[in-house]
Amino acid sequence: MFEQARGDRLAAARAALKEVEARVGVARDDSDRAWPVDDAWRALLPEGLPRGRVVSVGGSTSLLLALAGQASQRGAWAAAVGMPTVGVVAARRRGIELSRLALVPEPGVQAAAVVALCLEGVDVVMAGERLALSESDRRRLTSRAREQGALLLSAGPWAGAEISLDVERVRWTGLGAGDGRLRGREATVVVTGRRLGPARRVRIALDADRAMTVSRAVGAAGADAREEVA
Amino acid sequence: MSAEARAPRAAGPVATVRRAVLWVPDWPVVAAAAEAGLGIEAPAAVLHGKGLVAVSAAARAAGVRRGMRKRAAQRVCPELEILGHDEGRDAREFEPVAAAAEQVVAGVEISRPGLLMIPSDGAARFHGSEAALAEALVDAVAQSGGESQVGAADGLLAAVMAARASVMVPPGESADFLAPLPVDSLAYAAMGRERLAEAEALVGVLSRLGLHTLGQLAALPAGDVLARFGPFGAWAQRMALGQDVAPPVLRRSEEDIAVEQDFEDPAERVEQLAWAARDAAQRLDAALLAAGMRCGKVRIAARTVKGDTLERVWRTDVATRSGAFAAHMTDRVRWQLEGWLSGTGDGPEPAPLVSLALIAEDVVALGDEQSYLWGGSSGNDARALRALERIQGLLGIDGVLAVAEQGGRSPRDRVHALAWGQEGEPPRRVEHPWPGRIPDPAPATVLPVPAPVQVLDAGGSPVVIDRRLAVTAPPTWVRLPADPRDARARAAHRHPSSGHVGGDGGIVWEKARPVEAWAGPWPVAERWWAPDADRRAYMQLALRTSDGEPGLAVLVAFASGSWRLEALYD
Repeated sequence: MFEQARGDRLAAARAALKEVEARVGVARDDSDRAWPVDDAWRALLPEGLPRGRVVSVGGSTSLLLALAGQASQRGAWAAAVGMPTVGVVAARRRGIELSRLALVPEPGVQAAAVVALCLEGVDVVMAGERLALSESDRRRLTSRAREQGALLLSAGPWAGAEISLDVERVRWTGLGAGDGRLRGREATVVVTGRRLGPARRVRIALDADRAMTVSRAVGAAGADAREEVA
Repeated sequence: MSAEARAPRAAGPVATVRRAVLWVPDWPVVAAAAEAGLGIEAPAAVLHGKGLVAVSAAARAAGVRRGMRKRAAQRVCPELEILGHDEGRDAREFEPVAAAAEQVVAGVEISRPGLLMIPSDGAARFHGSEAALAEALVDAVAQSGGESQVGAADGLLAAVMAARASVMVPPGESADFLAPLPVDSLAYAAMGRERLAEAEALVGVLSRLGLHTLGQLAALPAGDVLARFGPFGAWAQRMALGQDVAPPVLRRSEEDIAVEQDFEDPAERVEQLAWAARDAAQRLDAALLAAGMRCGKVRIAARTVKGDTLERVWRTDVATRSGAFAAHMTDRVRWQLEGWLSGTGDGPEPAPLVSLALIAEDVVALGDEQSYLWGGSSGNDARALRALERIQGLLGIDGVLAVAEQGGRSPRDRVHALAWGQEGEPPRRVEHPWPGRIPDPAPATVLPVPAPVQVLDAGGSPVVIDRRLAVTAPPTWVRLPADPRDARARAAHRHPSSGHVGGDGGIVWEKARPVEAWAGPWPVAERWWAPDADRRAYMQLALRTSDGEPGLAVLVAFASGSWRLEALYD
C-alpha cells in the first residue's frame, strides 16, 4: 500500500519535472520525432504531430490553429505565412502563445524564400492556401522541413504531405431560429496518410462550450472523440 | 515619487529636513498650453475623466474651478480651451524647468511635474540666504520661460504650502505655520493620483467630524488617530505637524546616451542614409560601451526639412547579442528611414531628412541585465528571432507582425498588431467590460476588410433590420462573394439568366446557400459621439453546404442598409 503510493508520487514528480524541463527548453522529452498532443487529439493523431514533416489541413482554419496550438503550448515558436485573415483571438483560444507567434500576412512573390527562412528558425510554420508556390518549390520546402526538423502545417492540399486531415462535415450546436448563439462544434475529420493505411473518419469536438464540457467530462473522459470506420 | 511609495510604511521618525520648494502654478495647464501653442493669457483647463484637473489663471479669473464638469466650466467661460490630460507630456515638458533649477542648485527632486524639492541648507549658505536662493531659482526658471514661486520650511507639507504662499518659514515654526490652514491642504502633500484620492477621502471624513484646520488634526493623540484612520491617518497627522516621513530623494543629472547627426545635404534617398545609419549605430554602441551600459530600447528620431519630427522606439535584445549590436541596430535604423522616406507608414508626408538621432532608453549597467531563471532566453528564441529579422530584411519592417489580443467588440477590433520588434501604443485592456462583444468561440477567419454579402429571405429579397431592431423576415438564403479564381462562378455570373447585361463589373456571387440556423440581431453602437461613429447589428448564421449538411458558420453585420461579411467560423 505504502509502496504503491510512493511509486505514484515518484511518477508524478518525474512527470512534473519533465514538463518543466520541456517548457524551459533544458531538455527535450521523447518528442524529438513528434510534438505530443493532448488526450483529446489522440484519436486524430495517435503518434502526435510529426516533426520535420508536412501535415495538410483542409477545410478548417480552426483545426489548423488547434494543431499549431498543441505545439505552441509546449514551447514551440509559430509563424503564419500568407494567412492575412487568420483570427488572432481564435489562435489564442486554441492554445497558441501570441508572444511566440509571428504573422507574415503578404509574402507575395517571396513566398518560397519566406517559408524556407521560417522553417530554419521557427518550429511550426503555418502556410496559407494562396501562397505563390510551384510544385518544385513545395518539394524543396518539404525536404527543407525534414532537414530542419520543423513542422509545416499547410492550409489546403500539399503533395507529399505525411498526414492529410480534411474536415468533411461540421455540426454546430447552440444556434436556433433567431435565438441562442454558436456554442459547440463537432467536426468529422478524414485522416489519410502515407503510412496510415485506409482513410479513417474521426469525430472530434472542435469547439465546446465551457459549461457543457465540464458536465460531459464527468461522464466519460474520452467521449470527446469518437472513431468511425470508413 | 518614492516618498509616496514609502510613506505608509514609515513608522519611526525621520529627521525633518529643511527644504526649499519650487512650485510652478497650474503646471498641467502650462504644459498643455505650451504644447498646443496657446498663450499664457488664454483661458484653458485640463480635463481628465469627468472633471477638470487644472485651470489656468485666466480661466480662474473667469470663474472656472478645479473639479468642475466640462459643461459647467464652459457655461461659466464659453471661450475656455479644454486640453487633454497627459502625464507623459507633463513630465516631459517639466524637464527643462528642472534642468534650469539645477543650474542654481546641484541635485533637485522632482516630486511631481510642477513641483521641485531642493535641499536648502548648503545651497542657502552658498547663495547667502534663503531669500537669495529663492531669487536665483525664480530667475533661472524665468529664463527658461516659466513662472514659478519658491518657499522654504521644515517638512514636506509646510514647504509645499510655503511655496504656494511664497514665504520663508523660519526653522522650527512649521507647525505654527500649518496650524491655521484648512485640512484640504493635505492634498498638496499627496504625490500621485491614488494618494490624492485617498487624501481627499480622508479630508472629507475629517471635515464631517468637525476638524477643519491642520492644527486641530495635529492636536489629537497620535495613538487615537492611528486607531481610527490607519496608517494613512498617521501620515496625515505627521504632515500636519510639519514632520517628514521620508528623506528627499535627489535627482542625479545623468546625460542621455545618445548620438546625433546633422546632414549637410538633406537626404532624399535611402542610399545616402545607409552610411549614416551604420555610422550612428556604431557610435551609439561605442558610447554605451564607454559608459559601461546596455539598453533595452532605442529611440530613433529624425527631422525633415519641413520641421516635422519623426520618432519610433525599437526594442533591442542586446543581452543576447552584445557583439552584434551595431549591425542589428544598423538594420533597424535603415528600415525605419526607408519607411519614413517612402511614406509607407502613417505620419506626415515624406520629406528629405536633415538630422538623425539615436537615443538609448531603459539603460542598465553592464552586467545588471535580468536573465531568465533557467539559463537565459533559450537557443530556440534566438534562432526564431534571427529568422524573423531576416524575413523583415526581405519584405520590409511591416512584412512581419507581432500580434496581441486587446479589448474590443468586433473580432477585428480585438487584434493588436505591430511590426515585429517595434514599440507602439499598448493594446487596449481586455478586462474592461465590452458590452456587446461577440461571444466566444472566436472566429478563425476574420476579414481585414469586410466583404459584401447578400442575406435573403425565403422569397429572395434582402433581409432588412430597422432602427428598432426588427428583422423584416427570417434569413433563409445567403450568397457569399465567390473566389475570384473560380471560373465556373464567373461564367455563371456572365450568363444572362443571372441578370447580367454585359460589361465586366459587378460582384461575382456564389450559389445561394440555405441558412440552417441563425441568431441575432445583436446591436452595437460604438463612438456615436465621434466622426468615426459605427452602428451595426450582428447576426450569426449557420449555413448548409451543397450536400445538405450544416457546415460553415458566418458572422455578418448590417450597417447603413447593407450586409457585410465580418468573419467565418471555419
